[in-house]
This record gives sequence, C-alpha cells and structure tokens, in this order.
Amino acid sequence: MDEVADKIVSILKKNMKNPPEHVPMETKLADLEIESLDLAVIVFDIEDTFGIQIPYNANEDVQDFATVGSVVERVKSIIAEKGATGAAA
Amino acid sequence: MWAGMREGRCGVGPLTGMSMEDLYIHIAGQIKDFDPRERCSHSKPLMLADRYSQFAGSAAIEAMSQAGFHGRVPDGHRAASIIGSGIGGLATIEKGYEDLFILKKKATHPLTLLRSIASSAAAHISIEYGIKGPCFGTVSACSTAAHAIGLTYQMIKSGMIDMGVAGGSEASVTYGSMRSWQAMRVLSPDGCYPFAKRRNGTVLSEGAGILVLEDLDYARARGASILAELKGFAMTSDAGDMVNPSVEGPTSAMQMALEDAGLASTEIDYINAHGTATTINDVNETRAIKAVFGTHAYKLSVSSTKSMHGHCLGAGGGVEAVASIMAIRDGFAPPTIGFDTPGDECDLDYTANEGRERIISYAMSNSFAFGGLNAVLVFGPAPI
Repeated sequence: MDEVADKIVSILKKNMKNPPEHVPMETKLADLEIESLDLAVIVFDIEDTFGIQIPYNANEDVQDFATVGSVVERVKSIIAEKGATGAAA
Repeated sequence: MWAGMREGRCGVGPLTGMSMEDLYIHIAGQIKDFDPRERCSHSKPLMLADRYSQFAGSAAIEAMSQAGFHGRVPDGHRAASIIGSGIGGLATIEKGYEDLFILKKKATHPLTLLRSIASSAAAHISIEYGIKGPCFGTVSACSTAAHAIGLTYQMIKSGMIDMGVAGGSEASVTYGSMRSWQAMRVLSPDGCYPFAKRRNGTVLSEGAGILVLEDLDYARARGASILAELKGFAMTSDAGDMVNPSVEGPTSAMQMALEDAGLASTEIDYINAHGTATTINDVNETRAIKAVFGTHAYKLSVSSTKSMHGHCLGAGGGVEAVASIMAIRDGFAPPTIGFDTPGDECDLDYTANEGRERIISYAMSNSFAFGGLNAVLVFGPAPI
C-alpha cells in the first residue's frame, strides 16, 4: 500500500465537490476541476498532514502539480530530503 | 512620490522590522522613517492612533494644505470624510493578540479597539477638520480607495455636500499579514513586474492616497487652485470567483466610467492599470482594455505604477489616482519598471522602464479587487 499516495488522494477528494470513486495517478489536476485557491488549500492540507513545506508560486506553471502522480512524487521527495519536521507556511 | 515615479524609482526593498521565521517572501514596499512625532504632531489623537490612521492623517494634511484648507472647514455639514482601508489597524490587532495570548497580559491597551477599527482614519480626519457630514470608511480590498473617491464624487454631484476628503490608507505589512499572504501563493519573491514575461506575483506595500474633492462652483468661489477634474466613476462586480477575475466586470466598469465622464474611448490618453503582476490579472486586464478601447488600446499609454510602489491594497486606488492626476498635469506617463519582455497576450504599450512625455488630457485609473470588485475613475484637466 502506498500510504503517501492514499493520503494525498483522500485530501484531493476532501477538497472536491464531486470526487470520483477512483483517482488513478495519471489523472490531471486540471481534469479534477482543481484551480488556484483550491490548489492552495490542498497544498496546505498536504503540508499539514506530512509536516512538510511545499514551495510553489500560483503565478508559475508548476509541473509538480500537473498530475496526481507528480504531486505524490514531489511530496515523497520532500519527505526524503527534509524529514518530517517544520511547520506549514 | 511623483518625483520618484518620474524617475522610475523602485520603492520595493528587503522586508524589515519583523521576525523572518517561516517567511519565504522577504520583500515589500515599506515606508521608511515615518515618524508620527513629525507627521502627526498637530493632533494628539493621531499621535496615539494605528499606523494606518497616521498615514491617512498625514496624507490628509498634505492634501488639505495644498487645497488651501487650514483648520476647520467653513461649513462642516456640507463636507465629508470618506477614508477606506482593506483591513484597518492590523498592527494594533496583532499586538493586542500577542499581548493576550502569548504574553498573557491582564489587559490590552485601552486604545486597542479604537485603533483597530477601519473607521478610525475617517473619524480622525473628520475631527481634525470639523467635518460634520458623511463620515465612514469603505472596505473593498484593492478597490477600497477608488470606491471612497467615487462615492464622495457622487455625493458632491447629488448636491448633498460641497467638498470631501476621500481615499484610502493601508499599513498591513505585519508578520501575520505576510504569513497570510504568502499562504495564498500569489506573492513574488523577486519583485513586482506587471505585464512582463518575468512577472510571478505581486508585492505588498503600505501607504495612503487621499484627494480633496470639491464642487466646481464652490472651489471657484473660494479661489481654489484646482489640480484636475474628476470626470467619471463606475463600479461593477464580477459575481464570479473570489480570486480569478472575469473580463466582463472590468470591461463594463471601464465602459460605464467613460459614459459617466461623457467621453469617447478614443479620448483617453493614459490608463493607470490595476496591474498587480499576477499571471491572471495582467492578461485579464489587457483583454478588458482591448474590449473597451478596440484599436485605440494600442495608441494610449498604459502603465502600472505598482511596479514602483508595490500593491498598497486599500490605499492603492488613492495613490494611483494621485499618479493619474499628476500624469495629466505634467503631460508625463509614468513607467512600468522592471519590464523585460512582454508577457504572453500582453501586447499593449505599457510604458516600459522609462516614463514618457506625451499630452495627457484624460486619464483612467483602474482598480479590480479580490471577489471581482471593480472601480474605475476618469480624470481630466482642471476646467479653465
């Protein structure tokens, strides 16, 4: 079981109006109708859950948030780099 | 301020005066060396007020002195004081909570409440000048000051009052505010570069922009030195999204402001854009300008002075109204500094990097706030 992926998918679903039953890793965030403020809230949720900071700027094209899978990979790499310390911004 | 704008001086610099803990945005447009003992010494209540009220009081004194008003106005009941703020006395609020929750003090300072509320600046100015007519603050985020100026103009037009002190003030570059803003992910760590390819968010700043507005006959009768004419004002709302603007809202606000001014779109020479340097505003505003002005959009000068003074939030519309008036008076379009190359879909003349001399008969000032709150002012030359 991929615990990180599961947690992230449940955070995504929590922040969506009509979450689909199954969210495969290839799903594009844009297809999930997630935009600007929703994304900031989701990132905040993820940061809080994993005790990490995810730097990103809503004004820049962020490849990290292209698909569900890319979000999972980014979170895993941040966890590996920094360990689970530090508060959310 | 205008001298600085003519030179293309940048008021944004390193953030100072607060903890940097957990902050990753380290720039802002803070006012350095503001000493209330110098700027507000004539008024004991202002000396004790929040920084936002002190900014407002200081700007009001400048405006009123320049207008030839010293001491109480002639007929207080025919005057208004409409001074808005996005958040009011935020520094006072933060200090109050720090005292209560962290330092566990037995009481907050007795003036805490009065300093915090976003009506104080308007009240202080009313007291200072004996203004007994309408007195309150507008609250509409980045459109706050434009709404204050526009409403005062409407009150004068309706015959309710002869004059008003109107605009906005903001002093919200505090630790809590920086933390809140950075959590929205719309601030730039580098600078405020409206309409440019390199733009990556806005930069917070503080300040106050205040105008003295008068009925023309009233001003002439007292021999006032008139700087410009406020020709038109319009306000619309997107009824769309809390952060993403629509094209229709700003378009109709600009069109209605032109109608209110009795001007054709081709008569506008300069637009002081809202131009916050977010990816989304600048493209949206460009589209709206094209929708209103058609081919004339490519002939007029556009600039965002936020590139120099940052985003003053509730004060922005007032600061930018002053810039628009000075542009008319000097025949000089202030620049959009920090401009490398045009951003995608941003192909208008944004007066890149250097201000330009040109005859400016009529200028438009745009404010498009969070929640889709739009306010547009149109200025013209002082009537002969």
